[in-house]
Amino acid sequence: MTNALYRLVYLSTNQITGKHAVIDEQLCGILETSRRNNMQAGVTGALMFNAGCFAQVLEGPHDAIQDTFERIQCDERHSDATVLLFEPSETRAFSNWAMAYVGKSMTSEQQFSIGSDESGFDFSVLDGDAIYRALRANLHEAESLG
Amino acid sequence: MGTTLPGSTGACFDSLNTGVAIIGENNSIVYANPPFARLINESSLRDSIGESVRGSTSARLEFAKLFDDKLRNVGASTLELHLDAGAVVTLYIGARDNSLRVIVAMAGASVAADSSISLAGRLDPLTGFGNRLMYDETIRLLKASDTGDSSIAVLVVDLDNFKQVNDTLGHGTGDELLILVARRIRKSTRSADTLVRLGGDEFAVVLEQGLGTAEASVLGERLVALLGQPFLVQGHQINIGASVGIAALGETTHDAVDLLRHADLALYEAKGLGRSRYAIFEARLEQRAIERRDFETDLRRALGLRQFSLFYQPQTSIAENRVSGFEALIRWEHPSRGRVSPDDFIPLAEEIGEITNIGSWVIRSACEEAMRWIDQTLSVAVNVSPVQFGNDDLVEVIRSALHKSGLAPERLEIEITEGLLLNKSKDVMKRLWAIKDLGVAIAMDDFGTGYASLSFLNSFPFSKIKIDKSFIQADCSPRSKALVNGILSMGASLGMITIAEGVETLEQYSEVAKGGCGIAQGYYIAKPMPALEIPGFLDSFAYSIRSRPKS
Repeated sequence: MTNALYRLVYLSTNQITGKHAVIDEQLCGILETSRRNNMQAGVTGALMFNAGCFAQVLEGPHDAIQDTFERIQCDERHSDATVLLFEPSETRAFSNWAMAYVGKSMTSEQQFSIGSDESGFDFSVLDGDAIYRALRANLHEAESLG
Repeated sequence: MGTTLPGSTGACFDSLNTGVAIIGENNSIVYANPPFARLINESSLRDSIGESVRGSTSARLEFAKLFDDKLRNVGASTLELHLDAGAVVTLYIGARDNSLRVIVAMAGASVAADSSISLAGRLDPLTGFGNRLMYDETIRLLKASDTGDSSIAVLVVDLDNFKQVNDTLGHGTGDELLILVARRIRKSTRSADTLVRLGGDEFAVVLEQGLGTAEASVLGERLVALLGQPFLVQGHQINIGASVGIAALGETTHDAVDLLRHADLALYEAKGLGRSRYAIFEARLEQRAIERRDFETDLRRALGLRQFSLFYQPQTSIAENRVSGFEALIRWEHPSRGRVSPDDFIPLAEEIGEITNIGSWVIRSACEEAMRWIDQTLSVAVNVSPVQFGNDDLVEVIRSALHKSGLAPERLEIEITEGLLLNKSKDVMKRLWAIKDLGVAIAMDDFGTGYASLSFLNSFPFSKIKIDKSFIQADCSPRSKALVNGILSMGASLGMITIAEGVETLEQYSEVAKGGCGIAQGYYIAKPMPALEIPGFLDSFAYSIRSRPKS
């Protein structure tokens, strides 16, 4: 049970405020820490973000997902987490750790140091998945509200 | 930092707020957590403890000898350590177990009565937090070392909806959730704060070097937000919430012993305001709690002290222009409070369960009183609370009241409110039918004000519906009249007698009479009266009818 593979999908509100450089630095930090911690814990997944919210997919052993989620919850850079999915999964959709800026303007992507090349984010893995479509819709909505 | 212990055992002790060390063979330190290292520095326990002892070399040697003696003994013991700075640390030495033993160091002098309690007795095994004993000890030590300018604050954290988790997902999941909750609390607090699991799903945080309520509020807000975030436990997503009560030394008290009680009162306030929030103790909360407690005590005694009485308000048949019966209304006359309104004491009686006894007394008394009336066709109506429908006793109480008084069942009328039918529970319907089967009439009270669901009228063959006084006393607009007339004709079509409550003027009386209302009740006819006045009222009413010129 506790070592079974689970997938977690959640949304949360981005609380990082400040100048672009500050946000950029924070996000780089998050990516760095996530990669290191998740690698050790056997957690893979994807983090999508924009100025309004974070959307995260985490895959891994149940307890590792729980630990990761608990760690993230205590991070004050985001709030109001909404879990969209938490269930056992046969396979991993993400074989490593990915991160992507998902905004309306594609040029914004270039403004953050985390380009899609570096993140290795592959949209196609989850394409066609209703959850993924909902995630993208939420991200776009959050950006327009933010 | 303390000496490290391999594996996960170390991690669990590292985050404690109490000094913990484990000593192995030859009394060498296997592990010491950071607080322990802070209290007693250096790595060699015997030597360092010896060195930190105040006074001369001989005093140190004497302590070392005493400590050696304690360690030679496999049983548990305590030892007070007077440090250089004048501080006192008490060592609680655990019994030796497989060549290992635990030593707990706590600042302050030991208290003889407590020295027999082992470490396990001070810690909550599930969360690793302290337990109620540790809380009390912490407060006692803080109180003892109080220099008058301390700013201690206590936060009591209570989970909302935790019971549901235990009930639906089992206690195993509930326990695991509590561990995660404890972890989130730990991450939000500093190592100097004392963390306690008071019991069940209630936690406390003692801020010793805080800035009073200001800092406690920041933590309170943080905890409410953090514990309101989802948890992932055993494959489930669990959403609970937390309410927090805060009390600090300062304006309201200078005694640390008051803080837990004050924080609890603030917690109660936070829950009352809708949960998932924090509240800070104020003196008025205590005042309110005391008043409520006194009120509750008085209410529990009222029946025994015979402070209740029944007043009776006449109901007249409009078509026949004669008294058809009385509604029994409870009065509470308290020696110092004066007359207490049922609106004030019935809700409390329902909450504390006293309504069962009071309700039974009302039914018995009303039946006995009705048997004394000259006209043995007059009905007597009694209000019954939904709480009384909670078990089968009600049916038995009614049956026995009828039997003992000898009252004909059809003369008794039970008035219920719509609230009773909200859940449409099978048990409630079964009891309603059982009462009806006794031959007793059942009336729907206050119709139109509550949920006013027409489906209620369809769910049970009520003998009467009482139209709420707010409709009768409403303005004389065509809309109000239309509403009343609508209810009246609906009652007629359903074969239910309609009663107009709160008829105060001739105009209101004529209005409901015109609409075909069956029975009227209100100040226009008579106020509620003590039982003794009933014969006189019946005489004068009959006389006034006889003497009234026929139109």
